[in-house]
Amino acid sequence: MRKKLQSYGLNILALALLYGLMSFLIGQGAINKYYLGILLSAGIAIIMAVSLNLTIGLLGELALGHAGFMGVGAYAAALFTKNIGMDPATVFPLTLLLGGLAAAVFGLIIGIPALRLKGDYLAIITLGFGEIIRVLIINLDFTGGARGMRGIPRITNFTYVYVLVALVVAVMFTLGRSRHGRAILSIREDPVAAEASGIPTTYYRIFAFTVAAFFAGVAGGLYAHYVGVLDPNNFGFMKSIEYLVMVVLGGMGSITGAISAALVLTALPELLRQFSEYRMLVYSLLLIGMMLFRPAGLLGIREFSLTGLLSYVFRRCPHAEPEEREMPQAVAQEAPPLRPPVAEDAPVLLSAQRLGIQFGGLKALTDFDVTIHAGEIVGLIGPNGAGKTTVFNLLTNVYLPTSGVIEVEGVNVVGVPTHEITQVGIARTFQNIRLFRKLTVLDNVKIAYHNQMQYTSLEGTLRLPRYWSEEARANARAYQLLRVFGLEKLAEERADSLPYGAQRKLEIARALATNPKLLLLDEPAAGMNPIETQDLMATIRNICDRFNVAILLIEHDMSLVMGICERIVVLDYGQMIALGTPDEIRRDPKVIGAYLGGE
Amino acid sequence: MEKEKELPMLSVENLRVYYGAIHAIKGVSFTAYQGEIVSLIGANGAGKSTILNTIAGLIRPKEGDCRFEGQSLKAVEAHQIVKRGLALVPEGRRIFSRMTVQENLEMGAYGRHDKEGIERDRERVFESFPRLKERRRQVGGTLSGGEQQMLATARALMSNPRMIMMDEPSMGLSPILVQEIFSIVQEINQQGTTVLLVEQNAKMALAIASRAYVLETGRVVLSGDAKEMLNNEEVRRAYLG
Amino acid sequence: MKFLQQLINGLQVGSIYALIALGYTMVYGVLQLINFAHGDIIMVGAYTAMVAMTMLGIPFWAATLAAIAVCAALGVTIDRIAYKPLRAMPRINSLITAIGVSLLLQNAAQLIFSPNPQTFPSELKGAPISIGGLDIGFITVVIIFVAVLLMLLLQAFVHKTRMGKAMRAVSEDMGAAQLMGINLSTTISLTFAIGSALAAIGAVLYCSAYSRIAPTMGALPGLKAFIAAVLGGIGVLPGAMLGGFIMGIAESLTKGFISSQLADAVVFGILIVVLLVKPSGILGRRAHEKV
Repeated sequence: MRKKLQSYGLNILALALLYGLMSFLIGQGAINKYYLGILLSAGIAIIMAVSLNLTIGLLGELALGHAGFMGVGAYAAALFTKNIGMDPATVFPLTLLLGGLAAAVFGLIIGIPALRLKGDYLAIITLGFGEIIRVLIINLDFTGGARGMRGIPRITNFTYVYVLVALVVAVMFTLGRSRHGRAILSIREDPVAAEASGIPTTYYRIFAFTVAAFFAGVAGGLYAHYVGVLDPNNFGFMKSIEYLVMVVLGGMGSITGAISAALVLTALPELLRQFSEYRMLVYSLLLIGMMLFRPAGLLGIREFSLTGLLSYVFRRCPHAEPEEREMPQAVAQEAPPLRPPVAEDAPVLLSAQRLGIQFGGLKALTDFDVTIHAGEIVGLIGPNGAGKTTVFNLLTNVYLPTSGVIEVEGVNVVGVPTHEITQVGIARTFQNIRLFRKLTVLDNVKIAYHNQMQYTSLEGTLRLPRYWSEEARANARAYQLLRVFGLEKLAEERADSLPYGAQRKLEIARALATNPKLLLLDEPAAGMNPIETQDLMATIRNICDRFNVAILLIEHDMSLVMGICERIVVLDYGQMIALGTPDEIRRDPKVIGAYLGGE
Repeated sequence: MEKEKELPMLSVENLRVYYGAIHAIKGVSFTAYQGEIVSLIGANGAGKSTILNTIAGLIRPKEGDCRFEGQSLKAVEAHQIVKRGLALVPEGRRIFSRMTVQENLEMGAYGRHDKEGIERDRERVFESFPRLKERRRQVGGTLSGGEQQMLATARALMSNPRMIMMDEPSMGLSPILVQEIFSIVQEINQQGTTVLLVEQNAKMALAIASRAYVLETGRVVLSGDAKEMLNNEEVRRAYLG
Repeated sequence: MKFLQQLINGLQVGSIYALIALGYTMVYGVLQLINFAHGDIIMVGAYTAMVAMTMLGIPFWAATLAAIAVCAALGVTIDRIAYKPLRAMPRINSLITAIGVSLLLQNAAQLIFSPNPQTFPSELKGAPISIGGLDIGFITVVIIFVAVLLMLLLQAFVHKTRMGKAMRAVSEDMGAAQLMGINLSTTISLTFAIGSALAAIGAVLYCSAYSRIAPTMGALPGLKAFIAAVLGGIGVLPGAMLGGFIMGIAESLTKGFISSQLADAVVFGILIVVLLVKPSGILGRRAHEKV
């Protein structure tokens, strides 16, 4: 934490110095009006690009109406200035805030379709909204219509732009590295796994859209009071595309990349005015070329860091980490026990009755009953295609059952969103490993701690004390958990760089991090050899005792589950054909016939 | 063994396949001779389907080669491999569920241009699968699981293959249907088509196969005569439950 | 009477949307990709026909054929260069290239033909046809007739011919289609070629009716046609036709009875409502995500 604070201090100092230098140069006239204008435009573009990066880079959704939000902010701010009847310069911060809020409201409205849509459809919706905003501005009276709005006092100055750019960029950095930022990233990586890790994905989709729109609105306010004249056509699709180009060029997800691209793409066309007719042509070629040859952007997703640069320069340490992490070992000792022990007698944890689902007339599962007590290990076996994974998908409400009841500790959870089921205490793994592939091993686990941290997005952004204490605790617990699986040395590696067996283990670790009472494991031993499998089964046994969780284990290999399960449910063809102790199952003629494939 | 002397119909040589960073197939070699039923068995995730998909050209291997009737399949595209007489019935059937049974069969014969041959094969297929004949105007998606497996098999037969690869034909089927599918596999084989059978249901696969290979995490750990394997105590314990 | 007149106007413009929508829906059905550049193919078709007629002096029908050929070739080329290398990448990447291609075509056209609109020499002239006191323009009749005919032909192609069936097979399951011996690249190219050819015909009809031609002319009809495809159920051919007609009529009624300025906003409004109420469209199938 101290290192981080030092780093923040250093960055603030550098920013202040740069500000002093620039103000001096402007005051001296070394930066003339023309260059100042370019600087201000570039600053506004940086805010736009960095905020768009939140939706495109972090959330992973293509938003094509970003300029529309800017327009809302610009008009709202300009109208406020013109009608407030006070000195516009004194209320300017309030004006900008209002512009941001107005845009945020529109962002929220656009975010709502995100409840149901993603990908291409969402992109089209954002495009449509952007155009609707433009058409509305043209057709409303109080906006000045197609002629535009004139006579807006020009109060945007270097200080405002500089401070706001610094502020917005800082917020994007700190937000991105908080539990809220990780939640957004997890949606980009795998929305299904994010839900299963307890992330309310719908909330965070809308959150990302709203925050991005807010900052675009602020940029709009700055823009309105910089140019003094508003033309609705300046907020259309083509403008949105310009900001998209900046994000793509800088590398989707990279803030420093977006900043550099915004600077270059604002300055270059100004300096090369005689070629202005080729500008959009070049942009289009840039978009295509970048996607074909350098989809990660010119700078990639790496962030430039002043601290990293300094330590590189001064210590000549070539492997300077871009960001300092907490020292895990030191904190680990202070960490609380992973979970308080529960009472000896085992109450009913989960009970499902007459559970069934049909897919277009095909009965995938019928009349499935199961009761699981705290702390026990139950096996769910059956041939491929028998409906085992369907049971998991029903229990976690990935599918809504056509019939039946699911109760967790006596409370009906049918229809409860997946992320809430995770919070109630049911966690799962997936048959085809679903990790947050491009995130680190540590972040994979920390995302699952999301609901065990309380700090708000504001606390996280401002780095208030609760952020520090909760993050440190989560780090320590994550390392502790990773150690159980022998993964602590890989904590900083990207999840998809791990060998297969380690990925399986990481997925179990992530599920455990949600602090479940019941863990659903979907063929955890798939792809392992008998020795590795034996090893894993011992680990599972160990997990059950150590973390006090009950386990429902899908396996198709019967001999494997026999050793560790107290009870076994056998599914065949979507129907439960047997339930009993391993010995009973082994002797059950129905099981032998259906499952072992008798002759 | 006598078989060793003749040229294998299919030979897979030191196949290595990666999915991103994951090393899925770690140097697998095996052969299948004309007229055989060869079975690949092993647990989920052992890499059986990956091997079949690689042979069929849907996945490109990192190293190694597959030879069909002596010719390398390395640079051959998936749609060309069928035309050479090597068909795959994929895992999970993957019939065209919005097309009719008849259209599915037509697609199976897509690479062929001999009208009479296609007509003859369709009749033959309908003879072996009378239920498909009854439902030939029905859309594939409305068939039951067993019928879909039959359609997938029939569709592959429509390319008139000399060798057919089947990926878990028993998946999700009730015991009676599994029996039926396996007797169909045997029948196909008796009509002269070489069969490469991937199964989780090791007992049944070994019962009809002549030779078998046991796969474990992307490697062949055991190979030999299927009947001997069926009686091998170690195999029984590890794979037959 | 005014209502009927607007209805017929709506059918006319709706027919053109439907023709363009077919291209979107075919490509989407096969690749799950929104071919953003499809709208600009219309523009290329229009300019090709115009250049062929005014500069090369080719007759109207031959100019139409030239437009079809150029657009089909362009559609295939775009796919090969800009989309094909990205098939294995995240969707957002090909969506961005698609936007890039669209901008490229528009801006290239602006450099070649200047951004100013030009007049398209319409040859489809004839006496209006009168039905029950209602005058229907000759061009309107031609447009509706050609559009419906082409759609019937396409439907027949997809259901009756070997290539058409292969196209359906590819759109359902690419892997399985390859196992049947179907050549993926050929089939995908054919999809782009047919879709672009239909767009070219749409372009010639559109310009014959409205006679204005400009580098950005494709963007808006393209977008509306896309909305039509979504409305009808993307990936479903009859859906594109239904969606096109609904869009055309809605737009024309708004223009006639509410405000011509707001017509575009209404159109986007329809899209948003459809996507919120039934994202799979009127005739669409619900996709089932496998976990």
